[in-house]
Amino acid sequence: MTRRAFSERDIHLALDGELPVDEMLDFEHWLAGRPDMKTLAARYEQDRAALRAALAGIAEAPVPQRLTAALETKRETQRGGAVWQRYAAAAILFLIGGLSGYYAASLSQPVATPLLTRMADNAIDAHLIYSNEKLHVVEVAADQRDHLQGWLSKRVGVKLVAPDLRALGYDFIGGRLLPFEKTTAAQFMYQDASGGRVSLYLTRDETRADTGYHWLQERGANALYWFDGGYGCAIAGTVPQATLTAIADAAYKQLLEG
Amino acid sequence: MDDRRIAILGEIPRMRRYARALLRDQDAADDLVQDSLERALSRMGNWRSGENPRRWLFTIMHNLFVDQFRKTRRRNESAMLPIENSEVLAQPAVQFGHAVNGDVLEALQTISADRRAALILVAVEGFSYAEAAELLAIPAGTVMSRVSRGREDLRAILDDGHRRRAIKVVEP
Repeated sequence: MTRRAFSERDIHLALDGELPVDEMLDFEHWLAGRPDMKTLAARYEQDRAALRAALAGIAEAPVPQRLTAALETKRETQRGGAVWQRYAAAAILFLIGGLSGYYAASLSQPVATPLLTRMADNAIDAHLIYSNEKLHVVEVAADQRDHLQGWLSKRVGVKLVAPDLRALGYDFIGGRLLPFEKTTAAQFMYQDASGGRVSLYLTRDETRADTGYHWLQERGANALYWFDGGYGCAIAGTVPQATLTAIADAAYKQLLEG
Repeated sequence: MDDRRIAILGEIPRMRRYARALLRDQDAADDLVQDSLERALSRMGNWRSGENPRRWLFTIMHNLFVDQFRKTRRRNESAMLPIENSEVLAQPAVQFGHAVNGDVLEALQTISADRRAALILVAVEGFSYAEAAELLAIPAGTVMSRVSRGREDLRAILDDGHRRRAIKVVEP
């Protein structure tokens, strides 16, 4: 096979993930032999990192109330109506709680049981370890979804279905078996278009508790977790709480239906 | 709140990030997000269920931004020399700048809006050329050239920030 001629244009394609996979190796060879182009590619990558870093804080920051309020009440919300907006924000929290029946309940819940907290802790550990893997993010990839679900259900001892989160922009990429409290847990990994990952950590719950949603924040990651219907679930990711809440609501329904 | 509103809620942080990249001012950026959310709510019927809300919301927001941008330009509040005409782009040396956050966001604002939008959608928001093309209603090849030119502009501006600031023209 003859290698095609590469140019500066390909540096942009490679950086944007638009270079065909079968050309990557040849491109790397070409780049290795062109110090000027290699410097340029490194520079563009550095600028992109600076851009992402400069904008990261905005995506992580709490969403202003007027925006969540805008979503709830399209006609009555007006800019500058500060007092009114506070009521709207309260209303939206109440409505989120009403829908899931969990969020609001969790506010009045007693302290999370130790086992519950340990599950969330493990979920964050596992998330931080595997979501940062480049080559071995999952043990079994999404193309063997049925096999993976069957195997993990058997090993964890509860029927597991990897929820479909595509409506929220997250593609299922696979899963793995993990230890938990001398037994087992399953991890399902998801990825969005920018490569951001969230994972679901699932265990069997013998006590059949119903705990409602709880939050844990650790080492820069958030986890939203609960026990219900004989299983425990913790969703972990370095994403805002609103994103995790949306994922949890979608996953919760599918886990129970499945 | 129904499922679709919850899905939209989950997109607000990314919408704020894109808006902030398009506009210099955080309040103006949030105004744009708020306008976009209101428009999205009034057109809920256009969103097919099961479809990723992100592209739909970003398309709405981008169109609003373009409208606003045209109005602002018409009012002629402030004008920049078009980057294409500036001398800054005359082959600056490749060097490793140590850009801090503020610098890079300032530099971003001096790139033409078309290139800025394409660059951010692809390099920060992670859209493919094809997705960005659909969102911006331009051919994928145009996305590619806007992204690469935007990237070149950004590098040039970061390398020569002082000169760039000196040629900024503010009309009375």
